[in-house]
Amino acid sequence: MEKNLRILEERKKSIRDNSFFCSGNGKGISCERASVSGTVSQRACVYSGARVVLNPVTDAYHIVHGPIGCSSYTWDIRGSLSSGEETYRQSFSTDLRETDVIFGGEKKLSAAIDELVAEKSPKLIFVYATCIVGVIGDDIEAVCRKASEKHGIRVIPVKAPGFSGTKSQGYKLACDAIMELIRPCSGISRENGVNILGDFNLAGEIWTIKSYLKKIGINVISTATGDSSCESLMRLPAARLNIVQCAGSSVYLADRMQEEMGIPFIKVSFFGWEDTSSSLIRVAEALGDMKALEKAIAFTEAETSKAKEFIEEFKPRLKGKKAAIYVGGGFKAISLIRQFNEMGIKTVVVGTQNGKADEYEIMSRITDEDTVILDDANPSELEKYIIEKEADILVGGVKERPLAYKLGVAFCDHNHERRHSLVGYEGIRNFTREINISINSPVWALCK
Amino acid sequence: MGTAIVNLDINPCKMCMPMGAASAFSGLKNCMTILHGSQGCATYIRRHMATHYNEPVDIASSSLTEHGTVFGGEENLIKGIENIISLYNPDIIGVATTCLAETIGEDVEAIIQRFYKTHSDARVKIINVASAGYGGTQYEGFLKTLRAVVSHTEMDPTPNGCINIITPMLSPADCRQLKSLFDDMGLKCILLPDLSENLDGVYTREYERLKGGGTSLEEISKMAGAKHTIELSLFASDEISPAQYLFDSYGVPFTRMALPVGIRDTDAFIDALVSLGGKRTGELSKERGRYLDAMIDSHKYCADGRAAIFGEPDFVYSMTRLCCENGLVPMLMATGSDCPELAPMLEKEARACADIQFAGTPLIRDDCDYEEIERLSEELGVNIMIGSSDGRRAAQRLGAGLVRCAFPIHDRVGGQRMKTILYEGSHNLFEQAANVLLAKKEESFREEIYEMHFGPKEAANKKAASAAKTTAEKTETHPCFNCAGGKYARIHLPVAPNCNIQCNYCVRKYDCPNESRPGVTTEVLTPWEAFEKFKYVKEKMDNLTVVGVAGPGDALADFERIRETLKLIREEYPDVTFCLSTNGLMLPLYAEELIELGVSHVTVTMNTVDPEIGAKIYKHIDFLGRRYTGVAGASILLANQLTGIRLLSSQGVVCKVNSVVLKGINDEKLEDVVKTAAEAGAYISNIMQLIPVRGSAFEDMELVSRKEINEIRRVCGVHLKQMLHCRQCRADAIGTLGDDRSIDFRGCGAEKDRSKSKAKRYAVATKSGMLVDQHFGQANEFYIYESNGDILRFVEKRPVYKYCTGSDGCIDDKEEKMDAILKAVSDCDAVLALRIGNSPSKKLEEMGIKIITTYDRIEDAVKKAAS
Repeated sequence: MEKNLRILEERKKSIRDNSFFCSGNGKGISCERASVSGTVSQRACVYSGARVVLNPVTDAYHIVHGPIGCSSYTWDIRGSLSSGEETYRQSFSTDLRETDVIFGGEKKLSAAIDELVAEKSPKLIFVYATCIVGVIGDDIEAVCRKASEKHGIRVIPVKAPGFSGTKSQGYKLACDAIMELIRPCSGISRENGVNILGDFNLAGEIWTIKSYLKKIGINVISTATGDSSCESLMRLPAARLNIVQCAGSSVYLADRMQEEMGIPFIKVSFFGWEDTSSSLIRVAEALGDMKALEKAIAFTEAETSKAKEFIEEFKPRLKGKKAAIYVGGGFKAISLIRQFNEMGIKTVVVGTQNGKADEYEIMSRITDEDTVILDDANPSELEKYIIEKEADILVGGVKERPLAYKLGVAFCDHNHERRHSLVGYEGIRNFTREINISINSPVWALCK
Repeated sequence: MGTAIVNLDINPCKMCMPMGAASAFSGLKNCMTILHGSQGCATYIRRHMATHYNEPVDIASSSLTEHGTVFGGEENLIKGIENIISLYNPDIIGVATTCLAETIGEDVEAIIQRFYKTHSDARVKIINVASAGYGGTQYEGFLKTLRAVVSHTEMDPTPNGCINIITPMLSPADCRQLKSLFDDMGLKCILLPDLSENLDGVYTREYERLKGGGTSLEEISKMAGAKHTIELSLFASDEISPAQYLFDSYGVPFTRMALPVGIRDTDAFIDALVSLGGKRTGELSKERGRYLDAMIDSHKYCADGRAAIFGEPDFVYSMTRLCCENGLVPMLMATGSDCPELAPMLEKEARACADIQFAGTPLIRDDCDYEEIERLSEELGVNIMIGSSDGRRAAQRLGAGLVRCAFPIHDRVGGQRMKTILYEGSHNLFEQAANVLLAKKEESFREEIYEMHFGPKEAANKKAASAAKTTAEKTETHPCFNCAGGKYARIHLPVAPNCNIQCNYCVRKYDCPNESRPGVTTEVLTPWEAFEKFKYVKEKMDNLTVVGVAGPGDALADFERIRETLKLIREEYPDVTFCLSTNGLMLPLYAEELIELGVSHVTVTMNTVDPEIGAKIYKHIDFLGRRYTGVAGASILLANQLTGIRLLSSQGVVCKVNSVVLKGINDEKLEDVVKTAAEAGAYISNIMQLIPVRGSAFEDMELVSRKEINEIRRVCGVHLKQMLHCRQCRADAIGTLGDDRSIDFRGCGAEKDRSKSKAKRYAVATKSGMLVDQHFGQANEFYIYESNGDILRFVEKRPVYKYCTGSDGCIDDKEEKMDAILKAVSDCDAVLALRIGNSPSKKLEEMGIKIITTYDRIEDAVKKAAS
């Protein structure tokens, strides 16, 4: 049977492929649109986005108000680490049934909160409304407000029906929830230090960033939301400066905090040594802390030369290999392309679930003209281009892993489930090692 | 027993109907599934399955949006079916509804009819199933889908002699086992569904999106002509049972049987196949014999097991019987499905098994979550858990072994290849269980038997002894606890601003650098500042061994700050000695934590042990939110001081008791104080002269003479070692006792200084903050850099909106925004942007601002521009 490598007509405008897409600068790639039905999009939903951002709040009770599925599939699936409570690793659901759908689920939710308060004395509850709650019209805001008043704790609604937008919409809802939580503390006195926003402490990444900042003498007041707690979040308004790591998910929070609390922010990135170094230096500069600046320069120079040395050793084994990238956001994709360039690996396919127009433009500028760029790609397209472009490795999430393996291609896990850190100088080492073990595994020779 | 939480499912032991539907469709030949609903469902289910099977799992979604939810999803669903045909060219498309589609009332059946009408050339078979997530679990979803499959297929009722075998969710390896069994027995069977290939694909040079395995439409159509159906599920209700449908519609007789797990149920299954014409092979008898032999070999190890078995009803039923056959006691049997039938079917057998060992009463639960499973398991003394990998967290906390043998297995490889049925699978399964129990015993028996004879105390004692030694060492180098410690320096960190009692001899003032007495300090530091100060001083003062907190308030009145300070320092300087001084009011509350933080020395100021005297010394105390005065207040304080000292000293913390001599109030009773302190375990006593403070109640109090103090000390010295070298230091003292150098280090926190050079300014349009990646006209903020051509410096991030004039929303108005942007960069020498339009570039030129368009890293781009 001849291989079916066709591309759907309506998908063509979302793919830069020289055979049918002429604009070389990636400017016209259609993105930020609803997925095409039936194409096996890799995207998730609004609830997923909200949960990603709020999940790492370690002592929060995350109640999924809806039928069981959403709670089942998001139970403790992320590698966010905690230095304190482990409550967030549990999955709470009102487990709505047929009758609840008919008669409404407000009473059940309200009773569930009462029980939780009686049994577990929570400080903070997030209530996520999923698809059908949006349809059956439960007023979860009212339920949460009443519960807050009744129990004197914080119960914050997150109205995240899956159909109501994209994952990014969920990020925004989560940021709103955090704002609602911390707003009463906006008057607390300022201290000399920064908040880290947009890092979720996967594999202890926020601890790495904190340790770097500590080494250069910069105090971290609080974090959102990696390794955070109700109490620690309340201290967010005390910082002089916010530094935002995952801009896609948290720049909105930084914006709100700037507007409502007058806390300025800068964007940073700790992926790759160049970004890590310039971010550390920039934080010191933004604080006007000359001592920290001196230390940052010394520290980043020392670490950079060590990291470079490390990569130099691997380079001969990686040089000339070809990579395909399929990740969630544009910034991550860009960062990966640059890290691959550093290793001498060419990116031949790059795509994202939720990239923005200008991000695709950048991708097109930092890759070769024949690199395929895709928005909201599906397995069929990934298959086609991995084969056609002869990629040696795919970087993506776990759903894509089996596809890569079936195509006889190496794989690097770059999503929230991983168990190893990818930030900072340590992250570069982990990343390089991972690329090496998969791309140079003896198994591929046997698959020829 | 029983939890008070009934309205919440905590850690679900079940999944949703569409998961079951997607799994069942995976067992059909050339079938592709689409979930009618919002995008997330398909993605989550794909992830859940892909991680278990390690196979690409393609499930499409009709990606309903707000629009579809309001106006119906027909358009999306039809488009989705078209696209699937184009990309996958399947024989069958399974359409499973989700919560959303069911709730908005989608008539999928009608939509499909309309699809066929408008796509007359389509030769695909579309099978829909109503699978709202709230309608049941994956278990019912799976069977319901199989029912939909048989009821939607055009049947050929011509008798064909085949046997239909219908199963609940099995692993691909188990499906393969069944198929080879039929071959060996010479039977023509139709297995529905057949997951053997599609969810456990072989590696081939060419990748196929649809793997070609599974039950074909043709085979399904023959099910109506089969001579018999065996449905390997005891819990499928008639409405969702495919066997019942085949009987009702085509008269195919059927038998419902348990899964062939364990000796008895496998025997029964084989017997049934034999009675339907299959031949009993020699190999089968051998397998059975080996299985029995293995059971005998391991029965004593199995008997140590107290199992919690959890999962789908059929699974729980079969595993329980398997365990019972070999004396492994099933203590808890739990399913997440609504299945009240389970308990009566297992109760008798489980009890009988438990009874042999007097193991208590086993429990059976349906509609159960992991919170309940964990709680009950603990109560029932479970030491082995049997089910999916979702039990791992409970197992870990319980210290129980976990046998992973059901979907999903997310933390191990090979989920798709686990064998649990027939003689070989059962054999494999209970040997795994036995090995888990053997491993547990091997790991723990030495320690357990030792503890039985000697108790666990031995180890604890050893630990305490070694801790005491280090405290002794620390005391030697502590200037305040040992005279010879004089050559060692200490730093008092003034991090405790507040006090919770009012002593009549004290007025706490801050800025008074010439006084030298406890509770006075120039600056109160935050924990972080204190840490920075310590680091700074430590660099300059090698002999700094002790960190103390001595005010200006009470160290425990703001415990958060102390905790944070000590933690910060401890992380970087593990050898430093921590001490603090307190009035003791909060000591009983924090003693344990102080020990955990590594505080080895504590000074408690204790002026009396008599509440009547205390009432004269203390104006009031604030304790747990209330203010107490007089004798009542003093009583609380005194009691807490003593309790605190006892708690600390009993765990090896060295306690010093400070007492201020107050003439006419306590000077004659100080012996009692010291004696009581000694009994409570204090190590040293320090009798101190009063320093009269202006404004305090005791400002005019007459002082005792030096001679009198020495006499008091002599008397007290009988009971407790006396400190004679106290210098009554400030709360921010630094250095050795004889040489306070705190003034040299004042303000050494975060001074700011920005040396201005004649650098040029650069405005960078960036979105990511890392790259020059923003169009000039779209920038909402600029990162401002300075460079003199050599050094590069980030100055600030400038939001454009701050340069708006007039309306607030100038960002929304193109022209106004451009004005604001130009204003924002007006003091710069150059602008760096990804791109820039003609008109703004002209304006910038007029302003004398250079334009650089690039997509480089910010730092590199500015460096290039500046060089």
